[in-house]
Amino acid sequence: MKKVNRKLFLIPILAIIGITLTWNTSNSQAQELENSPYIIGIIFDEQGQQIVDAEVSLISNVDSEPLSKTNTQPDGRYNLEVTDRIPDFLSIHIERPHFEKVTLELNQAQIQSLRSGETLSIEDTVLLRRINPAFWIASVIFVIVLVLIATGKLHNTLAAMLGMSLLFIISYIGGYINEDLFIFDFEGSLNYVDWNVIFLIMGMMIVIAIVEKTGIFQWLAFFAYRISGGRMWLLLTILMLITGVASAFLDNVTTMLLMTPISVQIALALGINPLALLMPEVMASNVIGVSTLVGTPTNILIGSYGDISFNDFLTNLTPGVILAFIGLLLYCGLIFRKDLAKAHAPSPLLLEKLAEHGEITQPVHLKKAGWVGLGMVILFVFGEKIHLLPAVTALIGATALLVWIKPNIEEMIEEVDWTTLVFFISLFIVVGAIQEAGLISFIATGISQMVGSSLILSMLAVIWLSAILSTIIANIPFTAAMLPVIGFLTATVPGANTKVLFYCLSVGSAMGGNGSLIGASANMVTAGIAEAAGFRISYGYFLKKGFPALLITVSLATIWLLIRFH
Amino acid sequence: MPGIVCAIRGGPNSQPTINTAISLAKDKGLPVFFVYIVNLDFLSHTQTSRVSILSEEMQELGEFILLSAQAEAEEKGAYSDGIIRQGNVEEEIINACKEFDADYVILGQPQVKESENVFDQNRLEAFKERIEKNGGVEVIFAEKGE
Repeated sequence: MKKVNRKLFLIPILAIIGITLTWNTSNSQAQELENSPYIIGIIFDEQGQQIVDAEVSLISNVDSEPLSKTNTQPDGRYNLEVTDRIPDFLSIHIERPHFEKVTLELNQAQIQSLRSGETLSIEDTVLLRRINPAFWIASVIFVIVLVLIATGKLHNTLAAMLGMSLLFIISYIGGYINEDLFIFDFEGSLNYVDWNVIFLIMGMMIVIAIVEKTGIFQWLAFFAYRISGGRMWLLLTILMLITGVASAFLDNVTTMLLMTPISVQIALALGINPLALLMPEVMASNVIGVSTLVGTPTNILIGSYGDISFNDFLTNLTPGVILAFIGLLLYCGLIFRKDLAKAHAPSPLLLEKLAEHGEITQPVHLKKAGWVGLGMVILFVFGEKIHLLPAVTALIGATALLVWIKPNIEEMIEEVDWTTLVFFISLFIVVGAIQEAGLISFIATGISQMVGSSLILSMLAVIWLSAILSTIIANIPFTAAMLPVIGFLTATVPGANTKVLFYCLSVGSAMGGNGSLIGASANMVTAGIAEAAGFRISYGYFLKKGFPALLITVSLATIWLLIRFH
Repeated sequence: MPGIVCAIRGGPNSQPTINTAISLAKDKGLPVFFVYIVNLDFLSHTQTSRVSILSEEMQELGEFILLSAQAEAEEKGAYSDGIIRQGNVEEEIINACKEFDADYVILGQPQVKESENVFDQNRLEAFKERIEKNGGVEVIFAEKGE
């Protein structure tokens, strides 16, 4: 028994000795590390952007194994530890896919400095882009995805997934055969996915899924019909305002998806061509949505990349949006005046059906959604003071609503538009590939050379280029690809540090969506529903009505941005 | 109860189809079953997949379109009913023929680009043969729309 007690007594003593020895050993190792000299530096690309994940090695001669090796951090910095015996010849070798390799030879003074244990700071290193087969492959895949989306040959999500998969196949299999075919690995590709965007969209989708079932949109549309009292200009104004304001807080596609069927019914009941209501509505949705961070998918992308808050969008863009909306309203009133003049009193049967559809179906849910929505707006507006990301606000709002309403959670999760989320993730990777391979850098350099150091020229170029291009290519992939370019211009053009160019991109890409049928997803949804009701919106028809609207709204918004930022 | 199946989707292009069905109904003394088929294929042109909510909204829209056609039939002295279906247009028309033991099917010939229409001319002819083989239903093409 005594022996057992003695053993038990020894255990804590041995443990203390062990811990002390370990402590001393690690301390002595730390001292050795502290004494080791370091080589530090930063690596940039030609646009002055820090290069992450470049491999930096310290070599004594070309044939030998590196003495030390590290990778650059997201801020482009490297910290190379020199632990071995320091030879007479040393050089730093820097390499990264898609860039020219660089070897920096250290002079004798620098080597002596290392020998004396001093940290050696290397001047900033610029890596030059290298156009290799991977550059062309990534660019071609990006163009293929754009064409597939524009022509509708594949579902947008499938087109983006196809592009993403091709990139991985070429990177892994092609890259194994020839390193010049390597674009990025899976881990590297995930660095390009903006999870703030994904979670913000997901949270908003849950909120929207609850709101859309309450019948609020249908009620609002019928309310517009009732209070207009047969005055068509008033009906048009109210419907455009309802659609626009709803689009600013929900998303354009959902708003049009819910407003289009009831608007068609109102038009049919009044005996007018539904396109006279639908075209102004969808254009208002594309214009007014610009005023908030969550109003358009492009604003969500821009806000996250450019670190632009809900408040920033509201204060910097709302006056321009109001101006553009007034222009759009006058334009729509003018071009659809003949159609609107044909309105007659609806038959009692159709009016009864319209009233039946225009009822609030879930008043309790609507009330709760209203309170949560109000809370979310407050958090969006004031959250930036406590560094609350919009994505977190959206997730908190969605969760609060789910807990309060307690819907069937499986049904609710099914309501999340997963195809849109997969579309965004795949798109981020496809755009990330052209960023990785260098296409974005070349575009940025080209635009930079074109606009020089003029802020006005930069603003005009970004607004109008993005507006016109949004009529040809879908504005979401376009905006995603333009973000790094705008980031570069913001850093290099004098006076652009107010993030004005991001606002220009926001206005151009969203209002540019009015220029053609494929310019915005909301246009396609509206056209699809209208066609299913026997009223076709052709590409030509949309172009004819929409392009002048683009010119008017973008011009007015441009005037505001120039007043505000110049 | 035998009758006339008339597939419509609203709009000016459906008017000749509705007129043909109403005239035939009055001539033969048969009821017209207006059929509206919800088809969400256009969603493939967007990144969204809001099938559930859109399907509900399109059904509401379909009911409204059917009600307009029914009101017109009633006004012209023909008995009619409206039916909503969802899915493949051809299959649903054939199913409606079987369900209502139809004697006639009225099909429209909308004037849009053939590639963009379910019923391009060749397919329309093939569809006519298919319906007629399926159960002795007579297919009548309405005049082309505006």
